[in-house]
Amino acid sequence: MTVKHHPDISTLMAFSAGTLDEPYTTVIATHLAMSEQGREIMHRLNAIGGALLESEPEAEIKEGAVDRLLGSLTGEGVQPLPHREPASVPAPLRPYLPLGLEGVRWKWTGPGVAAADLAVGKDGKSRLMLMRVAGGRSVPEHSHGGQELTLILRGAYRDRFGVFEVGDISDHDEDVEHQPIAEPGEDCICLVAVNAPLSFRSRLVRALQPLFGL
Amino acid sequence: MYAVAMSDQQSGQPLYPSEAINPNELLVRIAENQDRMALAELFNLFGPRVKSMMLKLGTSDALAEDLVQETFLSVWRKAALFSSQRGAASTWIFTIARNLRIDQLRRQSNKPYDDLAEMDLASDMPIGSFLVEQSQVIDRVAAALKNLSPEQQEVVRLSFIHDLPHAEIAVRVGIPLGTVKSRLRLAYERLRPMLEDLQ
Repeated sequence: MTVKHHPDISTLMAFSAGTLDEPYTTVIATHLAMSEQGREIMHRLNAIGGALLESEPEAEIKEGAVDRLLGSLTGEGVQPLPHREPASVPAPLRPYLPLGLEGVRWKWTGPGVAAADLAVGKDGKSRLMLMRVAGGRSVPEHSHGGQELTLILRGAYRDRFGVFEVGDISDHDEDVEHQPIAEPGEDCICLVAVNAPLSFRSRLVRALQPLFGL
Repeated sequence: MYAVAMSDQQSGQPLYPSEAINPNELLVRIAENQDRMALAELFNLFGPRVKSMMLKLGTSDALAEDLVQETFLSVWRKAALFSSQRGAASTWIFTIARNLRIDQLRRQSNKPYDDLAEMDLASDMPIGSFLVEQSQVIDRVAAALKNLSPEQQEVVRLSFIHDLPHAEIAVRVGIPLGTVKSRLRLAYERLRPMLEDLQ
């Protein structure tokens, strides 16, 4: 698959530094699993950490630390390369979807739109969720209180930034407004990380928001 | 905080003192021959630097020591994975230390970084075919990092070394979140020519 829409480079840098919350980490990791070009960029970004590590001052290491290390190798071989079966859900997403996309328990959130929260650790303030939009249907126009990362898992949608297809990611900051419309045909399923409730333009939708869990 | 971030810019001793020990070769020796002496040498090269990074996260000395031990145990176990990857040993050790601190300090419930590391394993590339030049590329990246503007260096270090999310960097430095991101983007553009030489 050819991915056309990539995450912002600053988002990829945060992933490489290891500072993203679990939901964002999962969306980026899943995107990278689907994008060879993305993995190539990540490979390069990691070299920033490598170069910084080389420039670190040397902290004093406890005496005998090397012996302790070699001592704990007893019986510990170098692991052989792992083999993974290909699966319908990319590896980084599998722990959240043990039953695959078919096993998701959707919650109706509006005409043609359903969502499902995925369980993440409690310490973060952000959410990881799936959204399913029926072909030709739209998500009400909204902006974000924080960063919104959306990865297309199935189908496609279109908004004022273009057409987003499987593997594509949209990386929006707060104050970006958009109204995604699923392309005609199959349902569009997206993996979304958000760190604040969406803010809808329509007062009616805003009033209903708590009901729908958005 | 500004002063702290700036003060750890002075670097340690040069990594490869007199005759060049190539850390990539050490890793290959571990992967192919389970060479314990190669692991000890690698530990002497990088252990103190990994510990310095861990200490900057505010861990106690004892925990930092433990994390260094864990890092090199992982290096030992996963050395076979490195040999079919590309890039410099320091980059790989950085990612191992990063994954470990995420697991240990933040206790994330899954291992997306491990999943990705296993993804690029397809290759039939002969072990050792990519060696020497990669550590030179890293040297050039390190030099370029030192030539970034102080503002750009600060956000890069706070992110990669001090492990701060962008929103927290914004608070610490006293700039808007958008400025943190734009400084990182500019830093990337400056480093890009060097990074693109990586295999």
